[in-house]
Amino acid sequence: MKSREQEYRELFMAEALEAYDAMSQHMSVLEKRPGDEAALNEVFRLLHNLKANARAMGYNEIGEVAHRMETIFGQIRSKERPFAGSMVPVLFSGIDVLGGMIRTVGANQALTENLPLIENLDRVIAGEEPVLEEDSEVGSEEDATRKLELSDLVYIPIKKLDHLLNLVGELIIDRDRVLTLAQEVGDPTLLSVTAHLSRLADDLQYSVMDARLVGVGTLFNKFPRVVRDVASAEQKQVELTISGQDIQIDRNILQIITDSLLHLVRNAIGHGLETSEERTKAGKPAIGQLTLSAQTDRDNVLIRITDDGRGIDVERVRRKAVERGVLSRDAASRLSEAEVYTLLFEAGFSTAEQVTEISGRGVGLDVVKLAIDSLGGQLGVESKLGAGTTFTLVLPTSIAVKGALLFELEGHPYALPLMHTDSVVSLQSDRLHVVGGTLLAKVLSENIPVVRLADLLSDHDDALLPADRSKLVGAQDIIITSYNGRKLGLIVDRFLRQQDIVIKPVSQPLDMIDLFGGVTLLGSGQVCLVLDVPALTRLFLARRP
Amino acid sequence: MKNRILIVDDSFYMRTMLKNMLTDAGYDVVGEAANGQQARDLATETKPDLITLDVILPDNTGLEVLKDIRQELPDVKIVMCSAVGQEVIVNEALESGASAYIVKPFSEDKVLEIVGGALQESGDASA
Repeated sequence: MKSREQEYRELFMAEALEAYDAMSQHMSVLEKRPGDEAALNEVFRLLHNLKANARAMGYNEIGEVAHRMETIFGQIRSKERPFAGSMVPVLFSGIDVLGGMIRTVGANQALTENLPLIENLDRVIAGEEPVLEEDSEVGSEEDATRKLELSDLVYIPIKKLDHLLNLVGELIIDRDRVLTLAQEVGDPTLLSVTAHLSRLADDLQYSVMDARLVGVGTLFNKFPRVVRDVASAEQKQVELTISGQDIQIDRNILQIITDSLLHLVRNAIGHGLETSEERTKAGKPAIGQLTLSAQTDRDNVLIRITDDGRGIDVERVRRKAVERGVLSRDAASRLSEAEVYTLLFEAGFSTAEQVTEISGRGVGLDVVKLAIDSLGGQLGVESKLGAGTTFTLVLPTSIAVKGALLFELEGHPYALPLMHTDSVVSLQSDRLHVVGGTLLAKVLSENIPVVRLADLLSDHDDALLPADRSKLVGAQDIIITSYNGRKLGLIVDRFLRQQDIVIKPVSQPLDMIDLFGGVTLLGSGQVCLVLDVPALTRLFLARRP
Repeated sequence: MKNRILIVDDSFYMRTMLKNMLTDAGYDVVGEAANGQQARDLATETKPDLITLDVILPDNTGLEVLKDIRQELPDVKIVMCSAVGQEVIVNEALESGASAYIVKPFSEDKVLEIVGGALQESGDASA
């Protein structure tokens, strides 16, 4: 778990780097227009913050420089003296030195005081002439006297960790196999050795998984910069709030969602948030709010991107769907709000009228969806017209092991990832109704389509035969799956148990069938197919009678 | 009833640190504002018991925000936050009705002492 100190340090770094970039920009403005009040005020404010934050972190070397710079800019700002003459190169080198110090903090190295600069700043404050030196000499002297220190951290290429994880996966499968065999043999010594082996394998698995975890902040902290750039390109005023940076997630998962998150944030600024004029007209604060948050929810990590912008116009999405020939007018009007939102994730669907350079078109939401699907995650959207939109990414914490529900169908074990399992019910057949050829189950006052999994998996080129309730006798074990806001009940022969499984990719030619997300080996040595809920849901929609 | 606090500071880092300190001490942080406009909006909306107010804000000086909020919410306690070097503004703030001030960088004890003191102060202490 990340300590608060680390969190503060990351926040400090993100803000300090941003401040440094902004100050450099304002300095180049001042070079051209020395009296630019906006630039003077901003540099003054940024230096003031940097000083306060650096001192709070104990980076007094930064505080000392920033404090003197702030004093000088305070004098310029209040028109006691102009931004001119020999002070200008000193102020520029002051900004450079601050940038260097911030990077030094970022690299976990010790800060050293820059005395020549401090003396020059003091001279400028006192109204004396600074002594201008060649910077390079100072630098080389520092380099020559630097001590050699080895870092406590080791950087490991992620490929090596991937390999380690694969090996652990194989080990877990063998462990389950050995455990089952030991139980069959029943020898007490063998049982106690396998129990110990089992614990070791567990510890090893969690250690490897843990070594791959990084704070969501490592990605989130790149966003203040992104938001600033996109907002200025879109000519919008946006304030970004970030929370949950210390939530831990597998590094590769973070890598896979990087583009998706970037896309959603650009989308939120480009299409979600309005311009200041539009917002003021609508009676909202002029500055748009964008929130990037992470939290854990059982074994999952939830990442939310929320804007307080115009929200999704459901009617417009409906019209667009009809125009594009995705749906008939009738079908479109029957869709619930939640169903309309899922249309946004269809390939090439866009509602934005203006295509801007940065945020691009709505195309890409389908790509975001595919990326999340590939991780076995979920993507959801909630929106209120005029009030804003929230995209929620539900992601697994680790890619190695997944919670799964095991069940039996026609004598074979199958697994369904828990991520896509909504609930499990056992219903008498008279609680199921046939509507339009499809079985419907009423679960918690919600009508959910139900299908016999055996029917769905067989002959999957043809439409399903209309449901026949007389074929169902007695209590039916039903797994309610959920994907993209759509629920589907699958009738199976028998529930087995819940278990953590290691999913291996399926080999050819089974791989051709995208219904199976992979395969796992059970302790009994039996091969167990892992069903892919997105594919099953799509298959059901294509085949429903 | 927990005392409700609004944090106004343009630095995300500072806001996070203050929020953690105050939340850990059992206060209810009802909002965070990064500029003057947000500070006014959130103050009106959340009607906090106390506001920590940074003296230097991007769209306005903290002083103007202080005066506006004072007018809108005469009973709210306001604690100014500033790094050293801006004593002139802090003094003016105290004359304009701020209850107390904290100098950055601040220790957790100091913050809690000043915030707790300001909240205990009787309502007519400020002009």
